[in-house]
Amino acid sequence: MKPPADARSGGGEPLLRVEGLSKTFHDRRLFSRAGGAGVRAVDSVSFSLAAGETLGVVGETGSGKSTLGRLVLRLVEPSAGRIRFNGEDITALSQRQLRRMRQQVQMIFQDPYGSLDPRMSVGAIVAEPMIVHGLWHGGRDDRVLEVMRQVGLQAEHRNRYPHEFSGGQRQRIGIARAMALQPKLLVLDEPVSALDVSIQAQIINLLRELQQQADLGFLFIAHDLAVVRHVSNRVAVMYLGEIVEIGPRDALYSSPMHPYTVSLLSAVPVPTVDRERGRDRVVLHGEIGSATNLPSGCRFHPRCYKARLKAENPDVETVESQGERLPAACVLHQPRPVDAGDGHVAICHFPERGGDRSEVAVRAVESSRGAG
Amino acid sequence: MSAELAPETTAEAVPRGRAVRRALGRYLRHPGLSLGLFVLVLLSFVAIAAPWLAPHGPTEADLMNTLAHPSGDYVLGTDQYGRDILSRLIWGARISLEVALAVVALSLTFGSLIGAIAGYAGGWLERTMMMGNDILLAFPGFLLALALVAARGSSLENVILAVSIAYTPRVAAVMRSVVITIRPRPFIEASRAIGMSSSRVLLRHVLPNALPPVIVVTTVSAATAILAEAGLSFLGLGVQPPTATWGNIISDGQGFITSNPLISLSAGLCIAITVIALNLLGDGLRDTLDPQMRRYTGERML
Repeated sequence: MKPPADARSGGGEPLLRVEGLSKTFHDRRLFSRAGGAGVRAVDSVSFSLAAGETLGVVGETGSGKSTLGRLVLRLVEPSAGRIRFNGEDITALSQRQLRRMRQQVQMIFQDPYGSLDPRMSVGAIVAEPMIVHGLWHGGRDDRVLEVMRQVGLQAEHRNRYPHEFSGGQRQRIGIARAMALQPKLLVLDEPVSALDVSIQAQIINLLRELQQQADLGFLFIAHDLAVVRHVSNRVAVMYLGEIVEIGPRDALYSSPMHPYTVSLLSAVPVPTVDRERGRDRVVLHGEIGSATNLPSGCRFHPRCYKARLKAENPDVETVESQGERLPAACVLHQPRPVDAGDGHVAICHFPERGGDRSEVAVRAVESSRGAG
Repeated sequence: MSAELAPETTAEAVPRGRAVRRALGRYLRHPGLSLGLFVLVLLSFVAIAAPWLAPHGPTEADLMNTLAHPSGDYVLGTDQYGRDILSRLIWGARISLEVALAVVALSLTFGSLIGAIAGYAGGWLERTMMMGNDILLAFPGFLLALALVAARGSSLENVILAVSIAYTPRVAAVMRSVVITIRPRPFIEASRAIGMSSSRVLLRHVLPNALPPVIVVTTVSAATAILAEAGLSFLGLGVQPPTATWGNIISDGQGFITSNPLISLSAGLCIAITVIALNLLGDGLRDTLDPQMRRYTGERML
């Protein structure tokens, strides 16, 4: 593993810098209510990523992590904010310039079955990006074979079709297609979550090899905390379109500050049966909220165990919300970022740190230590 | 790494030659498909070899033998000008198949392009294009062709043009609906992610994947094109006599339907057989091209 990114990106511009990036999806139907709030899939997200670094993005379904990945490639047009790639603002690029930029930023998709054209042979699939970008001057067959070998495919696979391969092999084809252009940044949208666990490890090792060879930046989107812990230098936790906690991997997993991170950690399965039985999970209250109708104050408060613990403390001012007494701050005010140093930041009124660390957080970290 | 992969590969991948043979076998095992294909191949052979197969010229009149009944010299008899019916049928197959082929080529090209652009672009472009398409669809196809031929004069080219214009909107409507189901599939987004332009994605990925159902529709519309040509010729608006077409032969024979029914009936039978063969081919292609229909193949027919 490489040292944490902050040590590396000391000077100069990072590979990717995202500032205040937002995406609101509006209902475009003819007779919809005018001026509806829309779905705030990604809301003021900021982060940076250095070359050779892996930033893991975790969150539940609906947290906006996949939209974030597509925003970085501008497959989805941002509503607000800036994306700087290699120091260049790519939010203002024309379609033509954008296509050229995509030579350097590539994406690996979750679904290895759906993301390959079923009517094209493997060789054609791998060659296609080079043809599109005018890098095909005949006789580039050797480059196709080189990329295929790089990802662990054999030369004779080139004339076969995607349906003749297993999921893991198909994901290799998808990786070969992305690597054909020698990109600098890879956006990986749940690259292993559709694969068998045994194949997951092979693909992750392959990705890591490729990263080390070319000093690639990885934006690694996943819902599996164990996988993210394994691959990332830094981790961002998303909830309802917002990064609620971001920090170096070890700091985030050993002393999570945001109650949502704690809840996710306590849900990671533990390989030992005895320990799995013996542990208690922090049960999240209810489902992930709706991004159309965001809760007031802190958007996590309707599901937060910490808010409920805090509300029992007579010193904390509380208000009635949805039939429960919760701290007034959580229900009414947007929380501010709390910085624990070394780039470890969470947005919470009552972060799990220092003397305020609850028993729940301690146990969650302890039980998740066995996992991953 | 490659050592680990070897067993996975041999278990998963089917040798290419065997896969092709299996696919061919799947098409040929379908009884409707193979029957339709057989009839059409036979008809095409007859049409191409007409000059050698036909015992007489198509417009060669034997005025001593008008309205002759079947005999050794005139297998299906002659019409009121003493022309050999069998020879005219053989030459007529040329016109019918030519019309069918040209209409399929034209309506498939333009219909699929219009439908694909509309379905892929979406938004106002789709709405405008489909509005025009729906207006054309609202006319009965034959009536539209009739009006076009009446306005432009009757010739083989105009018949082909008119029938193509009448059937293009049908192909476009099917194409658009298929493209709409392909557009959200991940490999389309993946193509955009490698930096492909929209037109390139459309031509390289959307069209090839949308074609199978459209080919089925055009096969069936080839049958309607043959019917339309025969109908127009019968009404005197199609290919002009004395050229031999199946529609003209029916038209020639209608005055003698009681005394010499064989003239009109034989041409009618030719049309019926061709149309049924094309429909069988269309149904067969639908069954075999769609993987979800494949397992029912045969069961229903037998």
